Amino acid sequence: MAKKVVALVKLALPAGKAAATPPVGPALGQHGVNIMAFCKEYNAKTADKVGMIIPVEISVYEDRSFTFVLKTPPASVLIKKEAGIEKGASQPNKEKVGSISREQLRKIAEVKMPDLNANDIDAAMKIVAGTARNMGVSITD
Amino acid sequence: MSNNWWEIHVLCEPILEDLVFWRLDKFGCQGTASERQGESLSMRAYFPQGLARSLDLAALSLWLRQDALAVEMPLPMTQWKLIDEEDWGSTWKKYWQAQEVGDRFLIYPVWLTPPEDSDRAIIRLDPGAAFGTGTHPTTQLCLEALEMRIWGEEKEEIAIADIGCGSGILSIGAILIGAKQAYAVDTDAMAIKSTEVNRDLNHIDAQHLIAQKGSIDRILSLAGGQVDGIVCNILAEVIIEMIPQMTEITKPKGWGILSGILLDQAKPIADRLEEEGWIVATLWRRGEWCCFNVRRS
Repeated sequence: MAKKVVALVKLALPAGKAAATPPVGPALGQHGVNIMAFCKEYNAKTADKVGMIIPVEISVYEDRSFTFVLKTPPASVLIKKEAGIEKGASQPNKEKVGSISREQLRKIAEVKMPDLNANDIDAAMKIVAGTARNMGVSITD
Repeated sequence: MSNNWWEIHVLCEPILEDLVFWRLDKFGCQGTASERQGESLSMRAYFPQGLARSLDLAALSLWLRQDALAVEMPLPMTQWKLIDEEDWGSTWKKYWQAQEVGDRFLIYPVWLTPPEDSDRAIIRLDPGAAFGTGTHPTTQLCLEALEMRIWGEEKEEIAIADIGCGSGILSIGAILIGAKQAYAVDTDAMAIKSTEVNRDLNHIDAQHLIAQKGSIDRILSLAGGQVDGIVCNILAEVIIEMIPQMTEITKPKGWGILSGILLDQAKPIADRLEEEGWIVATLWRRGEWCCFNVRRS
């Protein structure tokens, strides 16, 4: 397959629930990608992860065919899992809903490192810690 | 309730992606779409118009700035506008039209009704994920080369191997203009599924177009011997590695159609083919791509 990528689109979607509504419809429709074919494949590949957000990176080629790779869940999803909480705080400045250790923070940053656009692990940890704080999750030593 | 959507567009540092996602998710957006825009990341999220007011979106914009400030990163730019609901499940089809290729082929997307009186071989295609929709220059070059090899010839039950079959378009095209048998392989399981769907759309007997996951090493066992011709529209670096195996699977008077090759990649492939005893009959080009028509000596 002679392939030249004309667009690289990343979607963060609920596993097993992709549909031709936003954000999938507008994002892929503008590139002429067969949206229903994408949804079918994505839903099949993420059916065992329902309840999670599973980002996917889609390469669209010159002839409007596509391939995709699944990526790591967003940091907020991993933080909730490590902290054992259902959701973040409604008022993070005033309310703490849980905590994770620095070791857990590093673990999340390491998982996210390939997808985070961070230069090093310290930069990745800083961003993950920022997300945790905004969620009302504190970092303990 | 209105069928319009708020489209929220955030332009930010790429490293802020997860943080922005979290804030948009918390706001209630069901997913995000992002693409690189120069050094920045362009993220879009959507929200039904009836469930948010401009004031809510202004507050969201402030939250996003505050989140970036908290991690000492440059502030993102947030804009929002209303977009109309569309039938996104179908609107992508506007990019697909019937297309003539070469002198013999007419490619028709599955949702269009083909003409009854066409003198061309009509390939019905369901453009799914797999490569080979007929719009790419290399696919067109391969189809035209198949016309030259198969159309009007004494067929004598021509059998071909289609290496990297994608949508199956080349196998289907070959059979529609007279090849008796096609053995199609691809390392991508999605391509095999796509080939089978398109084979059925074109009413080709499953016994005449056999598709299996794998590569060139599957052909001898699939075909039970050597084939008359090979079509291979993949990548130059893969083709060059396969040339010795191409010799093994092709009859002594067999031929090959090789594409997926950029013009500046042609020389090493030509050299390798000649080392293996193949003769380059013609080299066709279209734009920056080329297609080798070769035969065994």
